[in-house]
Amino acid sequence: MNALALPVVLPLLAAFLVRPAGLASGSLARWFGPLVLLLCAGMLVDTALLTHGQPVSANIGGFAPPLGIVFYADSLALLFAIAVPAFALLLWPREAMQAGGDRISALMLLLVGSGTGMALSGDLFNLYVFYELLAVASFGLVASSGSARAWAATVRYLLISGFGSVLALVGVALIYAQTGTLNLAQLSEFAPERLANPLGLAAFACLLIGFGVKAELFPVNAWVPEVYATAPKRVSALLAGVVSKLAILVVLRLILLVFDLPEARQSLLVLGLIGLVSGELAAWRARDLPRMLAFSSIGQLGLLFMAVSIPGVLGLIAALAVALHHLLMKPALFLLAERWSGGLENLAGAGRKAPLAAGLFTLFALSLLGVPPLPGFWAKLVLLLGLGQQDAVLAQAAIFGVLLMAVVEAHYLFRLVGLLYAKTAHGAPPHRMGDLAVASLLGAILVASMPLLPALAQGLGWMAHQASDVAAYRAVTLGSTIPGVAP
Amino acid sequence: MHKLASLLFAIGLAALLIGLAAQLPLGMTPMVVGQAILEQAPGETGSANIVTSVVLAYRGIDTLGELAILFAAATVAGLVLAPSIHAESRLRAKPRHDAGLVLRAGSDLLFPLLLSVGFYIVLHGHLTPGGGFQGGVVLAAAFFVSFLARPARQPSHVGIVLIEALAGASFIGIGLAALLGGGAFLQPVLDKGTLGQLVSAGSLPLLYLAVGLKVGAELSGLLAHLAE
Repeated sequence: MNALALPVVLPLLAAFLVRPAGLASGSLARWFGPLVLLLCAGMLVDTALLTHGQPVSANIGGFAPPLGIVFYADSLALLFAIAVPAFALLLWPREAMQAGGDRISALMLLLVGSGTGMALSGDLFNLYVFYELLAVASFGLVASSGSARAWAATVRYLLISGFGSVLALVGVALIYAQTGTLNLAQLSEFAPERLANPLGLAAFACLLIGFGVKAELFPVNAWVPEVYATAPKRVSALLAGVVSKLAILVVLRLILLVFDLPEARQSLLVLGLIGLVSGELAAWRARDLPRMLAFSSIGQLGLLFMAVSIPGVLGLIAALAVALHHLLMKPALFLLAERWSGGLENLAGAGRKAPLAAGLFTLFALSLLGVPPLPGFWAKLVLLLGLGQQDAVLAQAAIFGVLLMAVVEAHYLFRLVGLLYAKTAHGAPPHRMGDLAVASLLGAILVASMPLLPALAQGLGWMAHQASDVAAYRAVTLGSTIPGVAP
Repeated sequence: MHKLASLLFAIGLAALLIGLAAQLPLGMTPMVVGQAILEQAPGETGSANIVTSVVLAYRGIDTLGELAILFAAATVAGLVLAPSIHAESRLRAKPRHDAGLVLRAGSDLLFPLLLSVGFYIVLHGHLTPGGGFQGGVVLAAAFFVSFLARPARQPSHVGIVLIEALAGASFIGIGLAALLGGGAFLQPVLDKGTLGQLVSAGSLPLLYLAVGLKVGAELSGLLAHLAE
């Protein structure tokens, strides 16, 4: 499956070429990016159909791992890899379609290439390189609205992200110094012997903080509210929806393959719980919609970290369910918030002027809360079941925290929905057709998934089984013969 | 108070990292991948410089990622620094004075020297320490020097954009050519030649040339933006 490299490389190639294309013809530069993304999404779907979701790998450069870098595509990796170009197409920034938008197009293409790489790569340092590329591209996209506040927010984001990157690099170095390899499959062989010690846990903590910056993990999420409030809403939607999930996917792979330690899982549970509580409480106090969504996103990702911390297949299913649910919800909510920024009190009666937008918002709010029979309910239910399986006091405290925060969430979301339908005149501009269409599409997927839930649950279970099969990961990436590298 | 807290945080973090580093078995790190590469690299890639065979062959896609990071950083800088059209025309109208005779003559002398040193380092990357990144910086320095001596003569934006794009595209193009030829992406192609010869190591010197030109163009473009 050597062609597995193409969906990562073609967006990079297109990003390099987009500006010369802009010199030749403006409309060529405008449509170039989306077309390449369509091609990449098509190739990934084709790979998924061709392999029937069975794991495959590709040796980049033709060198067998662990010497070379390997890409690994199981159904989990392919699912997120397809989500990157697909959501980038849905959320393609309006600025990129205007004159002089070729730089933004190039950054979007770099974001997609690196994001797909993060989903597929099976090498720790390669993951770090793609993560850096993703970070630098997102700085530009966040600053692209051009206002002074957006720049101030970007500088803060840049500093926190840079701090995280340095720590992640320290983590990679600590792991390499202990094991002498960077290949995830080989690391999974060495880990029980060489990384199950305080130094290994320190390496995990460094990597967790580093990758946690994009996943809005508790101590390194101070950039979130300002950036989401000032960046173009489509970029916020992409960062909160897709980019955060890619960072979580890396943490998930690390937990599954390398750091399958109770201490590592506990730290995820604690940080996730703090993120959930602080995010939801801050969202409750927020006074404008974009900030409220940003804080609620911190809370939701805290929930996701808690799901990742649950051991076994049930935990993986919970993590997948929460992640996919959030992947659909947050972009749609940010698109709806585009015309509803400003103070919450200005939104009084907005729903009467924009019934479709308000209806969609209510639907998403209900699913976010976890009202049955919407998919959000099932996601939260699996999470609570997974937490309930453990007898640790911490897990019970976490269940209590999740339920309590659901009440807080219900209070601020219902207050907002009530405001939307208040009987006052309202003068907000109507939503753009494109935004409403994308939000409706995501809403339709959400509703359509309800009758399909049994099939979906089965699919997620199968995916979770496959992803937690470490032996298969090793067999597929390293092949039957491991080249002469005795430890 | 805030500054004190930051200082304490920085000291604490530094102490933590030093503490971690002190526990490492320095000098006795396990050489799992490293040893294998040391043994196999010259035979497999035909490059006398083992660092080059790691950078371009074994971990070629990392290098592509780093080029893309540099490109992304330059693009972001362009996006943030790009002056509006009015500001640009105002700047253009302002006359800029050349540096004195000594600087101009010196830069004229240095320019060809720096160019040849830069290309030398780039093209010998598979034989001696150096390579595309280092040589590319020297190439950019050649243009920096002439720009400092003659601020009025701006480097051509279109030229920089074209070189930057074509160099990056040819790096990926070489990789794709290997893929189309039935190999893996970025698999070294062409004849390996004799170890230690200038024309050896297959496509690795071509990849380094692309890296060098891209790094040089990227840095020159950044300078042009900062100058405006």
